[in-house]
Amino acid sequence: MSEERIEGQPKYAPGTHVRSKDIRERKITYTWWEPEAQYAFSLGPANSRFLKELKAGKIIGRTCRKCDRVIVPPRMFCDWCYDTTHEWVYLKDTGTVETFSISYLDPDAHLIEDPILVGVISIDGASPKHGFMHYFGEMKPEDLRIGMKVKAVWKPKEERVGSVTDIKYFKPLIGGDE
Amino acid sequence: MRNVSVIGGGMSLFRRRLKETGKELSFLASKMAMEEAGVQRSDIDMVVMGSAPDAFDGIHMKGENLLDGAGGKDKPYVRVFNGGGTGVFAPIAGWWHVASGVADMVMVVCEEKMGSCNPHPQTAFRNIWDPILDRPLNPNLVWLFAMEMNRYMTRYDIKKEDIARVAVKNKRNAVGHPCAQLPDANITVEDVLNSEMMAWPVNRLDISPPSDGASALIYCSEEKAKEFTDDPINVAGVGWNIDSSMWTNRDLYFPDYVANAAKMAYKMAGINDPRKEIDFAEPYDPFTYKELHHLEGLLLCDKGEAPILTREGVTERDGDLPVCPSGGLLGVGNPIAATMGQKVCELYWQLAGKAGKRQIPGDPQVGVGQAWGDIMQMGTVLVMRRG
Amino acid sequence: MTYLEKQSNPLDPVHFRGNLQADYLYTSGAAGDKFFKHIMENDSFLASECEECGTVFCPPRLYCEDCFVEIPDEKWKEVPAKGTVRLFTTAMLNTFGEPLEVPKIIGLIDIEGTDSSMLGILKTKDQKQDLTGITVEAVFRPTQEREGTLKDILYFNESG
Repeated sequence: MSEERIEGQPKYAPGTHVRSKDIRERKITYTWWEPEAQYAFSLGPANSRFLKELKAGKIIGRTCRKCDRVIVPPRMFCDWCYDTTHEWVYLKDTGTVETFSISYLDPDAHLIEDPILVGVISIDGASPKHGFMHYFGEMKPEDLRIGMKVKAVWKPKEERVGSVTDIKYFKPLIGGDE
Repeated sequence: MRNVSVIGGGMSLFRRRLKETGKELSFLASKMAMEEAGVQRSDIDMVVMGSAPDAFDGIHMKGENLLDGAGGKDKPYVRVFNGGGTGVFAPIAGWWHVASGVADMVMVVCEEKMGSCNPHPQTAFRNIWDPILDRPLNPNLVWLFAMEMNRYMTRYDIKKEDIARVAVKNKRNAVGHPCAQLPDANITVEDVLNSEMMAWPVNRLDISPPSDGASALIYCSEEKAKEFTDDPINVAGVGWNIDSSMWTNRDLYFPDYVANAAKMAYKMAGINDPRKEIDFAEPYDPFTYKELHHLEGLLLCDKGEAPILTREGVTERDGDLPVCPSGGLLGVGNPIAATMGQKVCELYWQLAGKAGKRQIPGDPQVGVGQAWGDIMQMGTVLVMRRG
Repeated sequence: MTYLEKQSNPLDPVHFRGNLQADYLYTSGAAGDKFFKHIMENDSFLASECEECGTVFCPPRLYCEDCFVEIPDEKWKEVPAKGTVRLFTTAMLNTFGEPLEVPKIIGLIDIEGTDSSMLGILKTKDQKQDLTGITVEAVFRPTQEREGTLKDILYFNESG
């Protein structure tokens, strides 16, 4: 119960607060568990082709003729008209920053010193606002802005494994640098 | 469809970690709701449980684990779940049990025990990303919201201090809430802006805390409610809607899915002009900017206008449109599904005039609660009205 | 048909490996904490009795799931850590499907003086076919090694 009762519903607040110290000092009992399950995620035809092309240093999309749409990352179905998509189409490895964040958090919510620059890039050749999340590099955090043109920086061919990380990051696209 | 009334609500303490198990928390919240309604477990026909990802509690299929604490033994019982949308979706599911005539009295119980997940509840969120296209980038879920907030701010040229005002308002409102985890009577806009940068533009005080907690709500048919009260509080409308999970193929500045859900709920409630007809709102506020985003999605103001209303004090408890009078997730805490306590139970307590120090002045007649979840795609809306 | 487009090269990637990366810390709960603190110090169990229906729960519970009432402190009592085997099975494989060197007998034990049963590992004096109805007694870890989890109970030994 909370020490102080406050007028109004809920009338009281049942529950016992446990602080980290109570756990560290084992003032309360607990059971620790590490899940042991392992997963193998099937890629499916769209992702397989997408990742295979990334390994080759290319970004590929998929068209929906009905919606006049070029989708990336590619999919075998269109979520607008709910029909199968039609052709494979190679896209450029350049694009536009749609939004971004400068992250001081690692995946477990620990704070880190050097921020991660991350955002959504709409890919040139795909429909507007169609793209994917990735990192940014070769720029200062304060230079990053929405609407900025960027270009993929690829890992060396021999290091690519068929993953979205075959692109290291996107860097600013300067002038006609393609 | 029958009219459905609310006759009781309950909430446990919300804290980063509670000693009680999920079952025990469910029991404590349910018991309070039953006390308020003046009913026994034997009066309740069916039970609906709302709880978000199993990965927080760390119990697979936790609906089954929680059922005895939720009073569901030997009764028709179902768990519903759509991520952050669950806190309002579970009471929507409870509503249809009674509205359809299948049950006369239903208890809705929501529970979350995020403290079980280590090293941080954020760790569980690692597993909601697409394992093939997103996870290799080692993402943190806060990235998503930081990117959405940036998009929203840029589109309407919104200043961070106007967004920070949401945290100030809600943490101050939470001072009157017995369950609140982070109430703060003296917080300022500067405190929010100067708190640690998590993922620009999101600072620590822009984020609601992860919590353990449970909440409960009891519904019955309006006819039956007359046995308990002369002044029934009814569910007037419900709506829910979801956008594509391909979030990188969408513009993020406006939550269409919330607007779709709101239109569905308003139509059912016979509300033609929500700005005039709705007296107060409990939009989902896990992040400061989300309250603003959702006020716009709920069609309670123009696109890009919510920060201005906030700056002008319209959304304060004594303003023209009180928003999050409970203290919201930012002030009371965010045990995902259990935020039904702020988003739906609070509507009931406010409309019944039972909110004590949190009571909105002026005898409110209609309130709207909303939740949001999954990968920025789920909108759930419930409108409540004095009968 | 696009759905039927086949992978032409069997060496193409077809799956990604991954796991669930979180670990868990489960608090024992309001009732569980009392139970586990008790067995850290004693070779006996605690049970709680519903005031309304008289059901005795072991491990003890905060509430009765039928009557839906909280069980007050004065309705808690100590019970011996023994009981009668109601059901049993013999496991020949471990969790990962590998053969066990020594098969493991797992039983559901009706705890004496209660209306509840607990799952436990069984040790018998001799090789019996049917363990139903035999009486067993909990064997605990040495007191100084107990941590306040179910693992403090090593196994249940056939009595007598």
